[in-house]
Amino acid sequence: MIWIDGILVSEGECGVYGERTLRGFRVWNPYRSKLAAYYYLGGDLEIEPEMRVLYLGAAHGTTVSHVADYSEITYAVENAYAPMRDLIAVASRRKNIIPIFADATLPLFYAPLVESVDMLFQDVAHPDQAGIAMKNSMFIRPEGHALIVIKARSVDVSRNPGDIVDEACRVLDNSLLAVRKVMWLEPYHHDHAMLVCKKVP
Amino acid sequence: MGIILVPHPDLLMVMYWFGEVAGNTLTPCPSRDPKYLSDRLDSPGADIEEYTPFSWESARDCGFISSREEYIRILRSLCIFRAERDLALISCHPGQEIIQMVRMLDQVDEAVNLLTEKALEWHAARDPTFSRKYRQVRGRRAREILSGSENQMMQAIVLELKNLSGLRETLSKEITILASDTMPNSSTLVGGVVAARLLSAAGGLSRLATLPAGAIQVLGAGQALFSHLNLGTPAPKHGIIYQHQRVHSAAKERRGKVSRTLAAKLAIAVKIDYYRGQKDPEFLESADRAIRNAGGRP
Repeated sequence: MIWIDGILVSEGECGVYGERTLRGFRVWNPYRSKLAAYYYLGGDLEIEPEMRVLYLGAAHGTTVSHVADYSEITYAVENAYAPMRDLIAVASRRKNIIPIFADATLPLFYAPLVESVDMLFQDVAHPDQAGIAMKNSMFIRPEGHALIVIKARSVDVSRNPGDIVDEACRVLDNSLLAVRKVMWLEPYHHDHAMLVCKKVP
Repeated sequence: MGIILVPHPDLLMVMYWFGEVAGNTLTPCPSRDPKYLSDRLDSPGADIEEYTPFSWESARDCGFISSREEYIRILRSLCIFRAERDLALISCHPGQEIIQMVRMLDQVDEAVNLLTEKALEWHAARDPTFSRKYRQVRGRRAREILSGSENQMMQAIVLELKNLSGLRETLSKEITILASDTMPNSSTLVGGVVAARLLSAAGGLSRLATLPAGAIQVLGAGQALFSHLNLGTPAPKHGIIYQHQRVHSAAKERRGKVSRTLAAKLAIAVKIDYYRGQKDPEFLESADRAIRNAGGRP
């Protein structure tokens, strides 16, 4: 990860979403991106230049563009019509983003396209976020990692976010993904937790 | 214990975007054209039940590509091709346009009401005898009052308001025309604008067509519905369909029954609209009768 005076940046073509630049680098804002918040809070699972990343919930491609700056290739899955347009626009200016217009709850639809990846990043607004991570864990190579954002408010607004995250951890611990760490993304994002997982060999 | 069927390894076929494995041999696709590759993935035989992890090297080893760069380049063009094609399929459906038009209509309404409200307050500040009591100061009536003002600025505002409400009427007619084209049966039952609003609330004709009648009945009454589910307040009887004259003009004790019947008939009408796309006069007549009976009229 590239840090300039305590500010997280990435190296790539500027002006994707009006992001600020710092000495020619693109500033990666932790208030806008949950992945950037994870690194600001001391997350040590870094994206290496040779890494293959599967990104679920790619949305408008803002965070995706930063992930693509660091990784070798990023498979970006998005299911909503309006954000997909922006995602294609981002993907068509970068050589290493593979946009996939599909539903992350149905991974078999895009399975023939996605090779084994080193890292899964998931940021989807869905009541069954742990279930989606489990289904998509088949794409992760053995001993590969997963960073899963649990948006507690998308699971159930009325329940305690802590309980929701505990439940997600229990679900994942019964799968091939072992939760290594739970990191709350305060103060950058409220009621969001990042689950750092490792796939069992 | 059930019997687990394990297919013979020679019969297992695994599909990848660049080729397929049958037995132990990987056969590469004969073409690298995005359309060809994409159609192949959509073919009925391409449905897979299980994912077998693969690496790009197998595409190189079978001779489909010669380098990692080439692998990414062709895969990228294939995926962009597929995504753009799917987007075009959605956006060329008139339903999407209707949804945007309904949102615009609501926004124009809101703007007109807000501007009228502010203009009336301004008017009241200049005229100490002005009061809203004992009269309807809304819409056209409000504009008439305002146009009586001697203030030049107020005259200009009233003109804009007139233009805006003219625009609203034109837009509403446009929506009716487009809706009766796209959803002929449901527009006949509840009118174009209400049908369009239902479409907008459901997020598309395909989604509306899969909703049960009970959901259509309370579509647009989300707040009341969830407060009913969570807090036990009375259940909403109607959502958007309340705007239809047969619901809101029904006797109060009959409204629930009318909206229930109307929603049930709408659920069928939307399905005909979506799957058949044509007007069904026989169905419309029987639906109309059922709704009329629910209203308690002979």
